[in-house]
Amino acid sequence: MVMENLGSSLRDTLKKLARANRIDEKTLNEVVKDIQRALLSADVNVALVQQLSKRIKERALKEELSGKLNPRQHVINIVYQELVALLGEPITVPLTRHTVILVGLQGSGKTTTTVKLARFFQKKGLKAAVICADTFRPGAYDQLSQLCERIDVAFYGESENTNAVEITAHGIAELKRHDVILVDTAGRHALESDLVLEMKAINDIANADQRFLVLDSGIGQQASEQARAFNAAIGLTGVIVTKLDGTAKGGGALSAVAEVGTGIAFIGTGETIDDFEKFEPDRFISRLLGMGDIKTLVEMIEEEPPIETEEAEAMLKGDFTLKDMYKQMKAISKMGPLTKIVQMLPLGSLGVDIPDTALQSTKETLDHFKVVMDSMTDEELEHPRIIRSSRIKRIARGSGVPSDNVRELLKYHKMMQRTLKGVRSQKDMQKFLRKQGLK
Amino acid sequence: MFEGLRQRLSQFRESVSTKERELDNEGIEATASEAPPSDTTLREPSREPEAPKATSAEPVQPASKSAEELTQRIEPNDGKKSKSGKSFFEREIKDKDLEESLWDLEIALLESDVAVSVSEEIIENVKKELVGTKRKWRQDIGALVEQALRNGILQVLDVNGLDFDEIIKNTPKPITIVFTGINGTGKTTTIAKVAYRLKNQGYSVVLAAGDTYRAGALEQIERHAERLGVKLVKHQQGADPAAVIYDAVQYARAKHKDVVLADTAGRIHTNVNLMNQLKKIERVIDADLVVFVDEALAGNDAVERALQFNTAMAIDGSILTKVDADSKGGTAISIAHTTSKPILFLGIGQNYEDIVKFDPQWLLTRLFDEADT
Repeated sequence: MVMENLGSSLRDTLKKLARANRIDEKTLNEVVKDIQRALLSADVNVALVQQLSKRIKERALKEELSGKLNPRQHVINIVYQELVALLGEPITVPLTRHTVILVGLQGSGKTTTTVKLARFFQKKGLKAAVICADTFRPGAYDQLSQLCERIDVAFYGESENTNAVEITAHGIAELKRHDVILVDTAGRHALESDLVLEMKAINDIANADQRFLVLDSGIGQQASEQARAFNAAIGLTGVIVTKLDGTAKGGGALSAVAEVGTGIAFIGTGETIDDFEKFEPDRFISRLLGMGDIKTLVEMIEEEPPIETEEAEAMLKGDFTLKDMYKQMKAISKMGPLTKIVQMLPLGSLGVDIPDTALQSTKETLDHFKVVMDSMTDEELEHPRIIRSSRIKRIARGSGVPSDNVRELLKYHKMMQRTLKGVRSQKDMQKFLRKQGLK
Repeated sequence: MFEGLRQRLSQFRESVSTKERELDNEGIEATASEAPPSDTTLREPSREPEAPKATSAEPVQPASKSAEELTQRIEPNDGKKSKSGKSFFEREIKDKDLEESLWDLEIALLESDVAVSVSEEIIENVKKELVGTKRKWRQDIGALVEQALRNGILQVLDVNGLDFDEIIKNTPKPITIVFTGINGTGKTTTIAKVAYRLKNQGYSVVLAAGDTYRAGALEQIERHAERLGVKLVKHQQGADPAAVIYDAVQYARAKHKDVVLADTAGRIHTNVNLMNQLKKIERVIDADLVVFVDEALAGNDAVERALQFNTAMAIDGSILTKVDADSKGGTAISIAHTTSKPILFLGIGQNYEDIVKFDPQWLLTRLFDEADT
């Protein structure tokens, strides 16, 4: 789809700016249009995008170019600042006694998030407890009680009672010896006025210090309006964005926090309880724009990055060791789903086909590889060729995996090596290196 | 749903028409004596078509602003649609004439949650259809654009007209329907609603508890089965979903049941292993229908998800949930466009009867015709 080309299109137009020594309006318009498109594709509210692009254009033309920055960096810097301003400060939760209520639309991931948050407090050494105030959805009680049991967190719920307010009152009394009490509520949307009233009542009873809106990263233009309604009902203190392990960019969350003037506290990045991270604006913005690490980009003073050029050259010559591979995989896995990343890399444009199998390595495979590599000697890591069957056996025994897994790792490495050698034969190797650096 | 788009559309039509009328009227000086007082009601669906556009809900729209100026200038001598049948010369519609208006229209689509790539394509088609065509003097260009857009959207939505009821009626029993989608879109609730609907139509239904992963999922579908009085086939948590669904199909065969509705665990489409699990289900089950469930609240990502799910397990039709949450509805257009398969139902509430058949014509009527009334 078009989405994949978005980041690169933005990069290309930005390059035009880099070559110019002053900002001309025509190129700027192009850049702003690309930024607009990136943000709209990321589900940022349309009106917000229009305001934003207007401001970016104004500032880019009006503000003096500071000596250090070239026009491209100047513009990126403005875009970055504007987005940071919209995102507000990341919300930090107090590590003291308090009560938290989680609200949101149906299916946004409140229950999972409640447990993840309970786990977060638990890890910080606080005694967390959870109240199930979702009396509507069948199975909600069971889901929450099972999850709480799994992580050994106190749970309060009444499976037969349909009065969520009453349950909350009982729960608060029951659990008062715990440090942090989390109240999970049923999913609702702004138009369900009876449910909005119920939510208010639950919040009043719980007297919650933190009131989090749990928001699906995939939500579209409705985000601001829903956030406004939830905020009007109980006064939000922060937003938690879920399902960011998918391809959704989370622009809805940006619109929501911009609308109610709060910030994002956490992000959910997977189905297991520990897939929960503190919010980092920089990574979020990079994702929104479909560009690599924006902060590095912002901080970059030179057009040509001096870093790692040598390393990359060595790789292309075929000296691509297991160590390099691990480093690369690690860097990539931090950025998100691998298929997305590879499409963003300039390899495709050079006509190098990366086999599907190479893309399918998930974080799990990476973890497996790490274990296997830990059982290798330095010599083996530098010169994988010397690994023959007896070494494979030893490595397999050492890392506790079947020998096949070791072979798979070696095979994967060989394939990557071959792919990179393919790049070398291309004329545009220099171009590749430059782009690689830019990424 | 679609309130926003509808409003935008009528705004758009007027902006285009007014501009064109302006061109037609070139030279004729129309002076506005007084700007009409702008009322501030934002979302009034039954707005008179010729009412002042100054009620524009979004003040940030540059184009609607210009439309506002234009109409204010034209308004006084323009009571009803200007249709003077005299066609003594024709104008060719040029790229330039449309540019601004189309951008306005694209914004309208985007605001209604039609994905960027999809709205671009729709707009491009409208443009292609219009540019170069001749237009009679004073012929309403708004109407032309509307017709083009109507065709464009209908083309997207009215894809190989699969009728759910017909299929249920005509396919040899038991029919197996597998529901897929990412986490939290409402698969289980939708299955319960479909089961309720089928049961009322006199079919016997078996549910398969194919979500063996999420905590509480078994209990959830169990409760639905109990309430609906239908058979549920389940294994333990953590069991192979393909095996559960297979058993349900076997059960339906043995007991001569009509329809098997198979739930699956929600999965994020970037998780390769879970997507492979779907492929396995397809191999083992050979479902009659694969129904993709997504929420009407979803934005651009709907396209990517639909694409990935379609690759893992070819989608026959989609159901859009949470339409009652004041959703804009453009997601329907994105998903139908991506999968080239129809939208079957809309979920419009939390009760079993809150499911309605999706009809593209109904949607178009809502979009275009009601905007006039």
